Amino acid sequence: MESVILAASECDVSTEIICAPADVLELFYFKDALFSIGDFHFTRTVFLIFLAMFIVLALLYFGLRKGEKVPSKFGAAIESLVTFVKDDIAVGIIGPEGAKYAPYLLAVFMFVIVGNLFEVTPLINFPITSRMAIPLFISVVTWVIFVFVGFKKNGIRYFTDLVWPKSVPVALRWLVGIIEVVSTFLLRPLTLAVRLFANLVAGHLMLTLLLASGWIFMSSVGDIGLRAVIGLPWFVFGLAIYVFEIVVAVLQAYIITLLSAVYVQTSVHPEH
Amino acid sequence: MVEELKGAIALVGYGLAAIGPGIGIGIVVGNAIQAMARQPEAAGMARTTMFLGIAFTEALALIGFVLFFIA
Repeated sequence: MESVILAASECDVSTEIICAPADVLELFYFKDALFSIGDFHFTRTVFLIFLAMFIVLALLYFGLRKGEKVPSKFGAAIESLVTFVKDDIAVGIIGPEGAKYAPYLLAVFMFVIVGNLFEVTPLINFPITSRMAIPLFISVVTWVIFVFVGFKKNGIRYFTDLVWPKSVPVALRWLVGIIEVVSTFLLRPLTLAVRLFANLVAGHLMLTLLLASGWIFMSSVGDIGLRAVIGLPWFVFGLAIYVFEIVVAVLQAYIITLLSAVYVQTSVHPEH
Repeated sequence: MVEELKGAIALVGYGLAAIGPGIGIGIVVGNAIQAMARQPEAAGMARTTMFLGIAFTEALALIGFVLFFIA
């Protein structure tokens, strides 16, 4: 956000209609560390990761606290969220043995939904899942789980059935095998990570550009006169996108959890 | 000259990569709505499968998005 405003205010708004930042990729650079302990640089992103962790822990701790005979409204809401992940996603997709994957799926769901909703939280306005490291780490953990479960449940047949599928005509088996191996071991974790990353980066950029350009146009009424009127539609459009981004944040958290469950399911029952 | 055009070409490439998934997601969602309208009692299952179909169809557009940044 700051970089866009800086880049836009550096250019001469009285002569140029559109101020392009000198280098769009500067939006993706890491900012200076708040403080450093050795090689560990504590940036704003790291701070928000820890904040998300504590929010998730607090939600689950206070929501599922023992001792209350009648759960409060808040407790009931958290409980229905946990039940949703456990029954609809874990058991619903993976099957009866899916209950033991429910803690991992719940952790992913809660962390990603809190991280995504940082995008539309006032004063934070930065989704931590738009840093590639976090979606990539989640998808690598999912990758390790489904490959490990696949080999544990099916032995070496998990791999050989992928490379040399018996259900396909012999002449085509090598081709299907190549496609299956590439899509299972390379494209699955890549798309799982990039889907979350791309949705959040696109939403964050859109919000930043629309709201910031609206703000810049409107806050310089005296300088540019009529052009300030242009800023108002941008600001209203930005607010509409703001509501849309709340839906996207929840939906993407649901989708990454759902797909993690589906990938585990294909390892538990490879024949389906 | 080529260096100046590189970003623009990558942008056009992403636009082209988004055409196929756009059509595909339209087909997926359209058929899912039809299934939900015909059998409202199976709406939950249709919705889950729809999200899965969207997620797999979207993958091509996402690869295009990554290539846009790499190029």
